[in-house]
Amino acid sequence: MTASPAAEREPGSYRDPSGFIFRRDGVLYRQVSQSFADEWAAFESSGLHAALQAKDLLIPDQPAELDLAAEAGAVAVIRPEPISFISYPFEWSFSQLKEAALLTLAAQALAAEHGMTLRDASAYNVQFLRGRPIMIDTLSFERAAPDKPWKPYRQFCEHFVAPLALMAHRDGRLGLLLRTYVDGVPLDLASELLPRGTRWSPGLAAHVHLHARAQRQHADEGRDAAPRAVTMSATRRLALLDHLRRTIEGLRLPARGTEWADYADQTSYSNVATASKDAIVREMLVAVSAKRAWDVGANTGRYSVIAADAGYEVVALDSDWAAVERHHLALRKAGEQRIMPLLADLADPSPAIGWENRERRSLLERANADVVIALALVHHLAIGRNVPLGMVAELMGRLGPNLIVEFVPKGDPMVRRLLATREDIFPGYSLEGFRTAFSTRFTIVDERPVEDSTRVIFRMARRAP
Amino acid sequence: MHLVFGYIDPGAGSLVIQAIIAGIVSIPFFFRNAIRSTVGRFRRKPSGGAASQSVSSEDTGASPTKPE
Repeated sequence: MTASPAAEREPGSYRDPSGFIFRRDGVLYRQVSQSFADEWAAFESSGLHAALQAKDLLIPDQPAELDLAAEAGAVAVIRPEPISFISYPFEWSFSQLKEAALLTLAAQALAAEHGMTLRDASAYNVQFLRGRPIMIDTLSFERAAPDKPWKPYRQFCEHFVAPLALMAHRDGRLGLLLRTYVDGVPLDLASELLPRGTRWSPGLAAHVHLHARAQRQHADEGRDAAPRAVTMSATRRLALLDHLRRTIEGLRLPARGTEWADYADQTSYSNVATASKDAIVREMLVAVSAKRAWDVGANTGRYSVIAADAGYEVVALDSDWAAVERHHLALRKAGEQRIMPLLADLADPSPAIGWENRERRSLLERANADVVIALALVHHLAIGRNVPLGMVAELMGRLGPNLIVEFVPKGDPMVRRLLATREDIFPGYSLEGFRTAFSTRFTIVDERPVEDSTRVIFRMARRAP
Repeated sequence: MHLVFGYIDPGAGSLVIQAIIAGIVSIPFFFRNAIRSTVGRFRRKPSGGAASQSVSSEDTGASPTKPE
């Protein structure tokens, strides 16, 4: 019954027996299992499927032929709109994770209006499409039983409430705990790490501290006797969800959190140099003329905007969470949709995590840039992190086939600052050394000095392996 | 029958605590909704017959009906 070519199941799509994601001939499909037929029918007939999509809460999809199914026993096959770049919650800034949490609650609220409910509340069910968070798991909804508690409550607290509370009340970097805990931050850990004062905040006292305590107290339940059934009226369920929403909305980063990301603002070069650099980058991006750009070391995105204006979809990576947060907030303010800011460190890119290290892919496996923009970055890797230039070139070659890269020489104030407190063990760090190192992986297509500065910007094309 | 598709473990402690929290927060939730609907009824009145101008009950901004 299966048509050719072969279907390839997504490694991350195995937990839920209601269906799964697969690729056939490069096209993404979702198969709905026979066992989920009634819920799927209710999802359609209640009007929720259409309502979620009309409000941009759920990824658009098209019905597909049933014989495209990857395995026997499908009741439906759909073709969801593909997301050009899959990002993960530990790569999001505070506000991005907060938006994903509020989106999840908005989807739940709309589901409730249609007599349905969410079955799970994983942060991995949210992606960013055209700059906005959107649910991607079309099978996350089922009919709501009138007196049942909200099943995803625990998952919602572990995936959203705990990490957001830790970022807001302890440190913005704690979002990275999600990289270690693929199933969400354990609530006992969050309760331990949060400042004591948060015990007096009603939302966090309830959803983190007391929640963690209740988990501990009931840990052995069901071992000797069946756990007592918990019932809850629909009104109470609404009240709980309303309280969760208020709790999330009330979480804010302390003002100091985003203050130290002012690197881009303290320009070490003149206005002439800035204008010259902008023009060179713009011309080079136009010359490459492709679809997807990765701005690595993007800071708050000066060159991401130039790339977006040149027609690119941009992924803007930075290793400073405060810069990513600031970038995201600036894009929101400007209504910009073409740029996706992301927390990532090229010297330690997001690893593959989860089952068999295949459930969530590494950053390098997800690399899909047509052009990589690496401005004022190479010296941070080569001198700040001791990475030999040849290895930097190798990494850039893995990210994409075209490269726009800036060389900042040792005389530049920014490099002098990096070398100020350490021994200069980098005799090969020179314009000539840079050209040689990058020439093994790339062909230099264009080379332009930045006016009124000692910097040089190169446009390169990856050599065939 | 609904639990057949609950593929995630809701957790015994999480179920118990959410029922307790829901019970507590449903009290302010109820009063907030009651106040909101009462205020909403009052605020709609001044606009009289112009139903199309009716203001959302949540709108506390500079609406023409707001007495300064």
